[in-house]
Amino acid sequence: MGVPFEALLPFGIIIGSFTVGGAGLWAVRKWDNEGKMPRWNKDKWDRVMMERDLRITGTKRGQSSNHEAPKGFELSNPWKIEKRIF
Amino acid sequence: MASREPQFNQQVLVDTTPMPDHIPKVEEIGATSAPLYSAAYFIGDRCKPYNDDFMKCKDESNGRGELDCLKEGRKVTRCAASVIKDINTHCLKSFTAHWECLENNNHKLWECRAQEMKLNSCVFEKLGLKKEIPGTPENVVPVHLRPKQIYSDWPGRQY
Repeated sequence: MGVPFEALLPFGIIIGSFTVGGAGLWAVRKWDNEGKMPRWNKDKWDRVMMERDLRITGTKRGQSSNHEAPKGFELSNPWKIEKRIF
Repeated sequence: MASREPQFNQQVLVDTTPMPDHIPKVEEIGATSAPLYSAAYFIGDRCKPYNDDFMKCKDESNGRGELDCLKEGRKVTRCAASVIKDINTHCLKSFTAHWECLENNNHKLWECRAQEMKLNSCVFEKLGLKKEIPGTPENVVPVHLRPKQIYSDWPGRQY
């Protein structure tokens, strides 16, 4: 007693949809982290240092081991500002 | 770094006014977080006197340390830059391997002991700087020399 092939079509759709979704998430994560493993459990120090990395290299996960900072780096330090509440 | 972060900030202020001329200039360090972390113990080994001097100056200047300790601060920056430069010229390959491993493993030192052993031996041979974790008791093996790392992804021997 053979199973009609129409019964298997939904499974194909389900498996295909999960595959597309998973591959899409993988690709987005890869693109977001520039091919490296993502950082996790970042504390304030890590966030501040990653912001500094961005100012030195110009990309989110770029790294550089130069001993001299690029020109103008010392003047690109951002101050976070907020409106006075009272 | 103030301990309280601005809560509702919508904007940042980038002040591009250069430092006034009567303050001597210093080259800022261009190494990013992973190479700096990788070289941290060697910086500490060579620059301990300068760093201690700077912290002592800040302690003793009653909150005016940012202005009064500029001279000591420049020494700290120059010394750290010299260490980075020396490691780059003498141990570039093992240094790069180590900080790329760190960058791929969320900056966890215990995931990169194999690369770290190579870097440590290279730096000790070429520059004479030794990694020593401050405050390690005399009678235990320092954590970076143990072949097994209990938190690492790879449970066996690291090197």
